[in-house]
Amino acid sequence: MCIKLPLLLCASLCINFSYVYGKEPDKSPFQVSVRDTSKLSIKKKLIKEAGAAVSSYKLAEIPAVSLQQYLKGQVPGLNIQEPSGEPGTVQNMFLRGISSPLISPADVLQQQPLVVLDGIPLIGEHPFAYDIQLYNYNRIGTATNLLTNIDMNNIEEIKVLRDLSAVAMYGPNAANGVIVLTSKKAGKIRRISINSYFGFAPRPNVATLNASYENAFRKQFYDRYTANGRYSDEDIYPQYLSDSSSTIYNGPSNWTDNYYRNAMVHSISADLSGGSERANFRFSGGNMRNQGIADSTGLDRYNVMFNINMKPLEWLTASLMINANRLERARNRNLRDRYAQTNYIPSLAMPLAPNKEVYQQYVSQFNNGFDNNVNTMLDGYGKLMVNLKNLQISSGIAVDYNEANRDIFFTKPVMEGNNYASNYFGYNQRLLFENVISYSKQFGAAHHLKLIGGQVIQWDLSKYNYGYGYRGVNDLIKLNLIDNELTAKSFPANLLFKFLDKTSHNLFSVYGHGSYEFKDKYSLSLLLRGDASSNAQPTSRWFFSPVLSAGWNVKNDLLSNQNNISALNLRLSAGRLGKLNAFDNYGQGPQYTSNIGYTGNVTLPGFNGYSTLSRPYNSGWVGYGIPWAYTDQVNFGIDFGINNDRLQGSLNVYTKTDKNQLLRIPAYAEYGYKAAIEPGLSVNNKGAELSLSYAPFQAGNSGFSWTSSFNISYNANKLLALPGGLNEMVIGNSLLRVGEAVDRYWLLSNEGIYNSVNDIPVSNGTTMKYTGTTLQPGDPKWKDQNGDNEIDNKDKTLYGHSQPVSVGGFNNDFKLGKWSLSMNFYFNLGRSVLNQQMANSLDFINREGSNAIESVKEITFWEKRGNRNDYPLYNPWSNVIPYRIDQDLFVENASFLKMRTLSVGYDLTSALGKGKMKINSLYIYAMANNLFTLTQYKGLDPELVSYTGYDTGYGMPLPRTYTLGLKMNL
Amino acid sequence: MKRNIKLMAVLLLFILIGSCKKITDVQSTRAVGEVNMWNKLEDTRVALLGIYGLTRAAMVDNNAHWIYGDLRGKQFVSTSRQDLKAVTDNRLKASYQTLDELSNWRRWYAVINAANIFLERVNDVKKADKRYTVNNMEVDIAQARFLRAFAYFYMVRVWGDVPLIISSHDGEFENKTQNSGAEVLAWAERELVAVMDILPNKYGENDPKQPGLYYGENLGRWTGSLARRVSAYAVLAHIAAWQGEYPKVATYTTKMINEAGSAEIGLTSVDNLTSSGEFFSAKRHTHLLGFNFTFQHGEGGMSGHIEELTLAFPFVNKAIPDIYMPKDSILKVFNEKKDTRFGQDTLGRPTTDRYFYNFDARYPIFSKIKVIMGGSASTSTSDAKFSFFSSVALFTRLEDVYLLRAEANSVLGDRQAAINDLNVIRSNRGLPNYAEATNGLVIDAIFKERKRELMGEGHYWYDLIRYNKIRHNNSAFTELINSGGIYWPVAEQLLQQNKLLTQNLYWK
Repeated sequence: MCIKLPLLLCASLCINFSYVYGKEPDKSPFQVSVRDTSKLSIKKKLIKEAGAAVSSYKLAEIPAVSLQQYLKGQVPGLNIQEPSGEPGTVQNMFLRGISSPLISPADVLQQQPLVVLDGIPLIGEHPFAYDIQLYNYNRIGTATNLLTNIDMNNIEEIKVLRDLSAVAMYGPNAANGVIVLTSKKAGKIRRISINSYFGFAPRPNVATLNASYENAFRKQFYDRYTANGRYSDEDIYPQYLSDSSSTIYNGPSNWTDNYYRNAMVHSISADLSGGSERANFRFSGGNMRNQGIADSTGLDRYNVMFNINMKPLEWLTASLMINANRLERARNRNLRDRYAQTNYIPSLAMPLAPNKEVYQQYVSQFNNGFDNNVNTMLDGYGKLMVNLKNLQISSGIAVDYNEANRDIFFTKPVMEGNNYASNYFGYNQRLLFENVISYSKQFGAAHHLKLIGGQVIQWDLSKYNYGYGYRGVNDLIKLNLIDNELTAKSFPANLLFKFLDKTSHNLFSVYGHGSYEFKDKYSLSLLLRGDASSNAQPTSRWFFSPVLSAGWNVKNDLLSNQNNISALNLRLSAGRLGKLNAFDNYGQGPQYTSNIGYTGNVTLPGFNGYSTLSRPYNSGWVGYGIPWAYTDQVNFGIDFGINNDRLQGSLNVYTKTDKNQLLRIPAYAEYGYKAAIEPGLSVNNKGAELSLSYAPFQAGNSGFSWTSSFNISYNANKLLALPGGLNEMVIGNSLLRVGEAVDRYWLLSNEGIYNSVNDIPVSNGTTMKYTGTTLQPGDPKWKDQNGDNEIDNKDKTLYGHSQPVSVGGFNNDFKLGKWSLSMNFYFNLGRSVLNQQMANSLDFINREGSNAIESVKEITFWEKRGNRNDYPLYNPWSNVIPYRIDQDLFVENASFLKMRTLSVGYDLTSALGKGKMKINSLYIYAMANNLFTLTQYKGLDPELVSYTGYDTGYGMPLPRTYTLGLKMNL
Repeated sequence: MKRNIKLMAVLLLFILIGSCKKITDVQSTRAVGEVNMWNKLEDTRVALLGIYGLTRAAMVDNNAHWIYGDLRGKQFVSTSRQDLKAVTDNRLKASYQTLDELSNWRRWYAVINAANIFLERVNDVKKADKRYTVNNMEVDIAQARFLRAFAYFYMVRVWGDVPLIISSHDGEFENKTQNSGAEVLAWAERELVAVMDILPNKYGENDPKQPGLYYGENLGRWTGSLARRVSAYAVLAHIAAWQGEYPKVATYTTKMINEAGSAEIGLTSVDNLTSSGEFFSAKRHTHLLGFNFTFQHGEGGMSGHIEELTLAFPFVNKAIPDIYMPKDSILKVFNEKKDTRFGQDTLGRPTTDRYFYNFDARYPIFSKIKVIMGGSASTSTSDAKFSFFSSVALFTRLEDVYLLRAEANSVLGDRQAAINDLNVIRSNRGLPNYAEATNGLVIDAIFKERKRELMGEGHYWYDLIRYNKIRHNNSAFTELINSGGIYWPVAEQLLQQNKLLTQNLYWK
């Protein structure tokens, strides 16, 4: 009932929209109250904080697929991870560092900044689906990057809000920062524009290997550590390597012909806008196709966007926007991802062969099935604004809906004779209803006061239906048919597994914002907000928080006569904002769930055919008394312009502390729990962001101009507190220690190799051990940090950072007459990577020995990546696992500098002459993307690393793309 | 008109702010909150079966039951898995994830905590739901106490000393020190004695202890899946044997054997035992205490079954098994020709492949238990192989109880009674009656028979310990027993979490 009422009202409002129009169509009701303190006054144009806003004009030329790719290196403070070059895969963004340790994909999802498109806060994927997954490499469903739904040609401006004074208006959704996208608006003049590019990404050149090479490599170990080519009686040499007569493994390694390709990319979009003062519109449509250079991957996007504004009465505004996208993604054929999807690991004894014909055979068997991934996304708003003299009332609804469909059929030959079908349908939906009253008044010449009161209700719902089945009758029936009684006919009923899950979250917010300005010199504003979340516990539903900010326009106040200094602005803000729980069950307190799965079988449905309930022993104890988490931030900024803004710059210094966050800590084992979800995690991020732009040559008589802009940010995080007052805690392979950063690796220090028994330290007659196992010649020499003659976790120390300490970009734009040239560089500094791929490749004994998912050998096993001979020759059979990943042997400096784009353009407008058709402007350009990388990292690419900092080798290479494009206005 | 619209907009705003205080009260559909649990008899059913499910998970997680029981005593050896090699070499602190998890008793404490909560809250259901009868509640309580005692017994066998925690401490968890294994076993025995006369021998079919249907279902549904009185006798006999109190063993085994008929339990024929779709599949009365995977309900999987370790081609698509029994050990154990489980004819050829398939190959496959899917294991090379298993996690069966009674009688000096029980099993496996000349001492013959009969059912390591406690003829093993080396180390993670715990002496 309660929800129905506002829905009804919303509906009636929507109908009303068609009557109405207003003065400021640019301002959505969701934006109207938002002010970035970097722009102190809306009336007078003060200097913009350089770098915070990004023009989309140049970005649209880049053959990028996702918002993340567009923004890489463009904005200070924004770190973007692109763990794979496969088009449309998930990428991560972290604004001003990470606010909690990144342990699981759910942690990453919960730290993504909010993306707001024309006032619509976009809803992302919900992490709850990971609960039913045995392996979490990909979320079930399409696992498509939902921020590939932005056609940059529709976007007028991108603003990245980092300062709480600007962010807090968006409420707790925005606690990780906000990326505000403003679309191009309808105009009064009829206009058609066409934007397009075509291009290709050449196939990468890689060195390939075959079984003989692998044999030669392994022989060194057998020569050194075995007497007769066999370490023990039970030792087994893999069959695919031992059969030297087999040409499919020992012959030419030419699989790359069928794996890599020259990929084509294109984008075409056109828009039409027009109308009159009282009613106008913009309509655009486009298609983008981006093929991956490997494994027949790719993404297709079809986009339609529609804006309409109407103004039937002088004091009323109505506008409506709809943005619809369809994404079709062709996914990779990785074995690991397939086995993770099917929860079934076939025999791994015979890996894919490096021979082209054999590989092609496999690919065609694979292609007899299907793996269709389609996302349909729709977002839109309708808004109504009433303008009285000093008072403005606005109401609006916004809807964001995205749904995902994945249909899979894997044929018998690729699944050792058991076919597999799966269907996934899931959606995330957000409905937002916002009302704002604002009052502004000028008192005399000097005083300006503005008061805003607002209220927002947000309903989020995420849901999926998921099912899979094994062993269908044959490879021709690829669906699970059911008869009238809903009995499965084509797949055996006992091998059909079905999952339904749903979670909703409601957020109710009220806020008041007052700002006062004195003579365009001083400003002061205060925001007070209260937020109630259904995911908070009943005893602490509400969270109240203030944000105070002040600005001083030094130029207007003290330096108005100084001509050299064209702008100088100081800003200070401090405040607090609540952070949401992603999971509704945390709001319940102690609870019961279905929980009887075990290692390797997490979704066991029941006992004796009955469902069961017990405490959440596996996911973790949830108690009462969980308070809201929140972030406290202080930001100080200076914006300046010198010599008529020839040199502009902006510097921000911040400290931000995220407190009371939940952390899953290992606890209460004697009460059955693997962990407890406890509040009390507190992480501080400190940093500085600088952006500068300089125009050494401004367009003058010579017609030559050069603008150079540079941004760099520095961020350091520090763990301030752990739940329960703990000082340190081990989670998996990492150590969290109060006072240290949360993104560090916890590793043994490798100091070489023990060549003989005499090298191994002996203390009190006991030879040094590694966790109870006596060290032998051929084992690594690990540093005994605490001197207890035993190597264990206590001898691990913290190394490096998985997140970059510094990120930035460097752009140069040159113009000479009608020619233009631009270059764009991107860099990461102070970041390390653990080369897991190398460790796996050296640890071949353990990997051959088990049939686990970590042992899967992809076709890229036959590609030379890095140099294995740089590593010591340990005894791979040793029980201490000499090539274990948790040692500094595999940590590498992954700082890099990349040239992201180089483009040359020519303005053809005047060359067109006066034909029949009037062309307002025509611009053509050629662009090269991802030209080179400078790095010390020895693996494939320092960017192709997951959020944990482990390079597993699963990242598809980032393509080097060459494109030709045009932009035309009619 | 103009004024009306303005008014409407202002009104709307106030209506919305004024209403909907309950917007933020959303019931989770993903977890059952405390207020929605313990209200009706369906709640006790899901909670009770949850304890069973947790017990099953605790037994089979990382194939623990077989690694503890069959692998550690080197009955089997590992082919290429380094972690399993460390187990047979008794290097249980080697740094493998499997060993860390096998050293961690948390999963058993989940059983105990679930039972504790059940016992503390079951009265709430009794008060709230009139359908929940006194008898239903008593039988439920007895099962929860049974499972809790069983969990403690299982843990004592693996770790020796464990903290004895018999209330849930919900939300007020406190760290506890270990209690001595003897203390814990004495407690477990008392618990089982207290509930054994409450448990029925059949559920859902008018057992005197449990009249009428059970949770609305008849015997067909509950066959062999719940703890019965005979199960309690069997566990009591095992506890007594572990304590070395053989008179009690004799008592409880006799009680069990006497009531076998009323629980519809009989001896299993060798074909029944070794056929894919028979004894080890589904749920059966003969699963004296077993935690079944009902394939018809989609229970089962790739992991948590001995098949994952022992099977290879042509049963599943795997070149070599993870663990196998070397040929000479097989021949040493199965040294009597007429054995229907495995034997060799005069030419040295295997007489059957019931226990070992492909004996002549380098890695004979232990094929006694092979419940693939619902029980459709096939050696045909043209069939598609599917590594999905559903064999029961079995703790004991009637044959085990007979041999346990034989062991007790032998220790107690009643040689003929011991031989009689031994011969029950021998004759059922095609062997002639025991003869000292060929079979050696009675006690040796009993343990040898246990090894043959119960191979792959998680018994061997504990049998070895009891045997050595009786015979003291292996000084190395006696030393292992005396130094506590027969136990598993306590996982490092547990010691980190609870500073009151101490590492087992042998593993310090």
